[in-house]
Amino acid sequence: MKKSIGDNMIPKDWGLERGLELVKRAGFDGIELWLGDVPWFQMTTTDAQVRELRRKVESAGLVVSNVSTGLHWATPLSARDPGVRAQAARIVERQIETAGLLGTDAILVVAGLVTEEVPYNEVYQRCVDALKPLGEKAARAGVKLGCENCNSEHRFLISPREFWQFLNDVNSPAVGIHLDVGNIHDTGFAEQWIEIHGPRITRIHLKDVLKHRGRSGDQSVYTNLFLGDNNWPAIRAAMTKVGYDGWLIAEMEARYRYAPDQQFYDTSQAMDRLISGRL
Amino acid sequence: MDITRREFLGYTAGAMSVVGAPLPHWTAPSVAERRLKKWRVFCSDQDVLPESSAGYRAVLPQRRWRFEPWEQSDPLSHCSLVIMSSVFLLPEKIAERLRMCLQRGTTVIIESAAGFASHLGFRKHRRSLREGLGLRVAAPVNLWSPPRATPYVDYTWPIRTRVRDFTRLVPPANQPGQIIAWAGDLPVALRQRVGPGTLIYIGSPLGPALLIGDPEAIRWLYAVALSA
Repeated sequence: MKKSIGDNMIPKDWGLERGLELVKRAGFDGIELWLGDVPWFQMTTTDAQVRELRRKVESAGLVVSNVSTGLHWATPLSARDPGVRAQAARIVERQIETAGLLGTDAILVVAGLVTEEVPYNEVYQRCVDALKPLGEKAARAGVKLGCENCNSEHRFLISPREFWQFLNDVNSPAVGIHLDVGNIHDTGFAEQWIEIHGPRITRIHLKDVLKHRGRSGDQSVYTNLFLGDNNWPAIRAAMTKVGYDGWLIAEMEARYRYAPDQQFYDTSQAMDRLISGRL
Repeated sequence: MDITRREFLGYTAGAMSVVGAPLPHWTAPSVAERRLKKWRVFCSDQDVLPESSAGYRAVLPQRRWRFEPWEQSDPLSHCSLVIMSSVFLLPEKIAERLRMCLQRGTTVIIESAAGFASHLGFRKHRRSLREGLGLRVAAPVNLWSPPRATPYVDYTWPIRTRVRDFTRLVPPANQPGQIIAWAGDLPVALRQRVGPGTLIYIGSPLGPALLIGDPEAIRWLYAVALSA
């Protein structure tokens, strides 16, 4: 397995080059690039600039593990407004295009967003309808489109069997699940999600979760690896059981009040322990 | 009217059975075709809200409907119900045919799809409905700004029922006719007698609710069909 971390974790005032140096020094093999979340990778970034971005990543001794985006929170594929939906699809298409330019074969998509205004059944249908053609485009480009399980964050596809049925309905070999083991909170167990989805897992996001906090109040439920309630030995065992040998990508909140770079070293070492199974 | 009460009850009972199914596949019960009259669903050449047209197609009994692009439409003879789903612009030749249908006693449903239109787009939509069918509509309203307490449109005719709104509403303006649906104190749908026919205008698309199998939306549509 290889280790990666998001470029959106790089301290804001560090810049890309210094951030890449830190990622490499901390022992990561790759970096997850977040389209629209960082100044160096926007929807307006040209193909030439994306190629330059790849050159910088590779010059730092890293590779791009995958292309993610947070843009679908504001521009969901499940929007009622046809104009917003078209824009959301364009974001996915750009992810697919840039994945090719960056030399990776996976993208992360937040598939839908259930709100008081846009109900679950509408979101489900629209996402299935949107992902079928996008899955075809991804397949043609040799890219896997991983829908992230955001569970209570997007109030959609809360259980692993629900997610399984969703992927069945999309029915595209290029569309799978980008599994986040921290997003399941107290609605289930990450190791069971891994077991159920096995070969459909495109990438795995790692973070720990403080299940007892639930989603109430202003305290985050997320924390660094091994500080929360995830059963890490069981998660590691489930990865072995299903034969997952792909990228593990750290996705936690940047919460170090001092020495923010220390979080990279601590996370990398924790991931080493997880991969080696010394838990 | 070309649907029997027994057929209607059969369809609405079927509608109730899809409660909770995320992806309903509507199958109308097998009934003998008694008349030549048809229902037709039309979508525009530039269907801005395809899910709405898909919703009507999903719930209407297949042997009874004809789904066609506008340009291929014939004079619409023998139709008891014509549904113009997801209407943005109404070409004059289609409007003319609809006027003929109304004069023959057909019920025509016009569903606006201009809720998310740009200012200029909406002006074209408004003009098109006014010139084509004499329908007057007001500017789109975002029903969710500020967020609503209850997300429903209350229909009062031909049955009382509740269907989810579709965020943006193009309300009917003041004109002759009966308001048959409300979102709070905002009018959503209008029913007008036009000669022997009935013109129904819906300002908040119903098709998306039909597509997800909302039994109340289906029941309302069939109740309209029964009254046609």
